[in-house]
Amino acid sequence: MVRPFPFVTAFIALIMSAAPGLRAAETVWSGLVIAENVAQPESIPLELTRIERLLKELFGYNQFQVIGQSSKTLKTGQEDWLATSKFFGLHVDARGESEAGYVLNLKLYKEKELLLETDAKLSKRSPLVIKGPQVGSGQLLLVLIVQ
Amino acid sequence: MKTFEEKWTAWLDGQLTGKELVEFEASLPDNAAAKLEKLEAKKLGALLKRELGAHAIANEEFFSHQLRERIARENVEPFREQAAQVSTWWTIRRLFWTGTASLALFLVFAVFVMREKNPAEQSRYLSQILNARVDPVVSPNATISMFEAKGDRVTVLWTEGLQSLPADYAAK
Repeated sequence: MVRPFPFVTAFIALIMSAAPGLRAAETVWSGLVIAENVAQPESIPLELTRIERLLKELFGYNQFQVIGQSSKTLKTGQEDWLATSKFFGLHVDARGESEAGYVLNLKLYKEKELLLETDAKLSKRSPLVIKGPQVGSGQLLLVLIVQ
Repeated sequence: MKTFEEKWTAWLDGQLTGKELVEFEASLPDNAAAKLEKLEAKKLGALLKRELGAHAIANEEFFSHQLRERIARENVEPFREQAAQVSTWWTIRRLFWTGTASLALFLVFAVFVMREKNPAEQSRYLSQILNARVDPVVSPNATISMFEAKGDRVTVLWTEGLQSLPADYAAK
């Protein structure tokens, strides 16, 4: 008689090893940032320190100022929120959580005008940076970081 | 002090002697009948000894008996061995094939799981841009590209040609 017990055990062990772990509630920081070159640059905001070197090398600016921001703790992965400045608005709509991170729909508004829309998966360990329109001598950047 | 029955048994066996024998025979109510009974008992004893005594086996019979027992044992043991072989499914060949099949199954699952996991592992580290679009009316010459700065684990959506705005829009 064939004994299926070892096979069943091995199968269950494999399935369990492949199962994803439970994710705790995480906070997503989203910011509207103006990057520009100035003679006396201010220190970079705390939220951006982990990507300071990349921002400076990639965009070539020496100052990064947050003009609008929002911190949202995601519990269900279905929340939505808005980070606004005087003229810009970044609407973030979380559309679920996956093994890879949060699925987000991002919309950048200039007042009521939609400038840019994107769908992205935001990973906990990987910030997302979006280059926006030129503003004066500087550049609008959108930054999303899972804290 | 012996009971009458004990003395009677001893008397039948001829084990009473001397004064005890004289006293016992004197106590018998019918000495003649008792002696007749003793004689009958002796006859019966002799008969039983003769008919039921152990039958001594001669040398030939003894060896013949040993031989028969050994043949009987040898006839039984092969059946036992055969029965033992039949009762287990795990022959060497089956063990080998079962082991090989299990290993193959494990490898298939391992490859399957690793394939499934690799993209997820990669995307755990890096955010991904799934799609992006700009309003073609507002920014008709806009282009979009995306890349990952893997050293810093940052994903960048790079736009060019978006409508430029005056410095006033940098207000908080």
